Amino acid sequence: MPNNWSYVFGAYGFAAAVLLVYWRRLAGRAKALASRQSRGGA
Amino acid sequence: MAVRVLGWLAVLGLMAGLVAAFGYAPREVVQGNVQRIMYLHVPSVLTAYLAFALVFVGSVGYLLTRRAGWDRLALAAAEPGVIFTGITIVSGSIWGKPTWGTWWTWDARLTSTAVLFLVYLGYLLLRGMLDEPDRRARAAAVVGILGAANIPIVHFSVKWWRALHQPATILGPEPSPIAAPIALTLFVNWLAFTLLFLYLLAKRTAIAQLEEHHAE
Amino acid sequence: MRRAWIVVWKDVLSERRSKESLNALVFFSLLLLFVFQFALGPERAKVETALPGLLWLGFVLAGLLAFGRTFLVERENDCWEGLVLAPGDKSAIYLGKLAGNVLLMAVVEAVLVLLFALFFNLDFTSALPGLVLVLALGTLGLAAVGTLFGAITAQLRARELLFPVLLLPAAVPVLLASVSATQTVLLGEPLADAAAWLKLLAVADLVYLVIGVLTFEFVLEG
Repeated sequence: MPNNWSYVFGAYGFAAAVLLVYWRRLAGRAKALASRQSRGGA
Repeated sequence: MAVRVLGWLAVLGLMAGLVAAFGYAPREVVQGNVQRIMYLHVPSVLTAYLAFALVFVGSVGYLLTRRAGWDRLALAAAEPGVIFTGITIVSGSIWGKPTWGTWWTWDARLTSTAVLFLVYLGYLLLRGMLDEPDRRARAAAVVGILGAANIPIVHFSVKWWRALHQPATILGPEPSPIAAPIALTLFVNWLAFTLLFLYLLAKRTAIAQLEEHHAE
Repeated sequence: MRRAWIVVWKDVLSERRSKESLNALVFFSLLLLFVFQFALGPERAKVETALPGLLWLGFVLAGLLAFGRTFLVERENDCWEGLVLAPGDKSAIYLGKLAGNVLLMAVVEAVLVLLFALFFNLDFTSALPGLVLVLALGTLGLAAVGTLFGAITAQLRARELLFPVLLLPAAVPVLLASVSATQTVLLGEPLADAAAWLKLLAVADLVYLVIGVLTFEFVLEG
């Protein structure tokens, strides 16, 4: 049975990419909201 | 901050999971190394189920109490839930290609998961279309409740439908007697994914809270 | 219960006068028939094999149209607030609308089955009792969810888009079960062979009905 590592890395890579993108989106939004808070006043 | 600790715990867990999946777990006899995708695929779907259970809880909670916190829970669980569902589907598909020669089989779990994905994607779409918080929460809650209640019904209908049209596959994705190293690796990865989910849930909840705060 | 009956009666009466929905849906079913034939090609065998699926495809598509419009009348005529402000148990409105939808679909389905029999020269007479049962259970499931989601999407500008997106995934088990059971019935096999599917349909119908009755008031709040 061939090793098929490309498939394995493809699957893990996809998962990592998606999660990373989502996490960065969240972090970005959190930062934006926090700066709005400190500027605009709570 | 507790959330940050959770985040680091998640990272630790994921690293441990990767080590286990690639270093510790044995190379599977029949499928080869492709089988290692299972350590991504199975924990993903379990995490998705956790997520949608929380969507259900949040939905019921909001309808019963009208406290925004419950709706925040539902929303914050649904987003990562959809993501993990997507990961489940893609990893399952990638696993299937070398194993069964095709990118998609209408196999019971893959099909059920795809339906699940569509249900909660619709849930998020609906939320996106309603601006008024109370109306949005109520509408989403109803869809969330029905979506969750439908999960077992979908599961059985797809399973029986599948049994009708295909002969039973000799190879399910899991090896039949689960060897201890495989079980342990699965467990570690499942734990890691759960931690990651909880971290994302906490972060998303905080954002939702801040957004509500600004809207006032 | 009486209030549910009033809702049904109102809808039936207004429909009888205008026949707006009914005519359009029947015509739509006829069109579907042609579309299916053209899509599948001239071989009769293909159509016969696909028949259970085609029937339910037709029912689902007609249902998308019919259920999506459940609250259109109230919406367009500014009667939505009337529904919202109506005193008492809102679930009666749900049941009334549901019954109206089921009646509408029953007519549409009868017409579609008749048209299929006519155009494809099929004989349904022996399968009729079983067929009616499967159609009833399946339609009830579709309508239960469709009426509920119809109310939810009635408030949205993009309702024509979101309603199918919400309904179709939720309708998957009903579709699977109904098609399988219909196939059993049309092949002349005994109804007992489809028992598992029928039970699934019954359970699903019950779950959807209960959720609909319990949550409708939250949808109708404004």
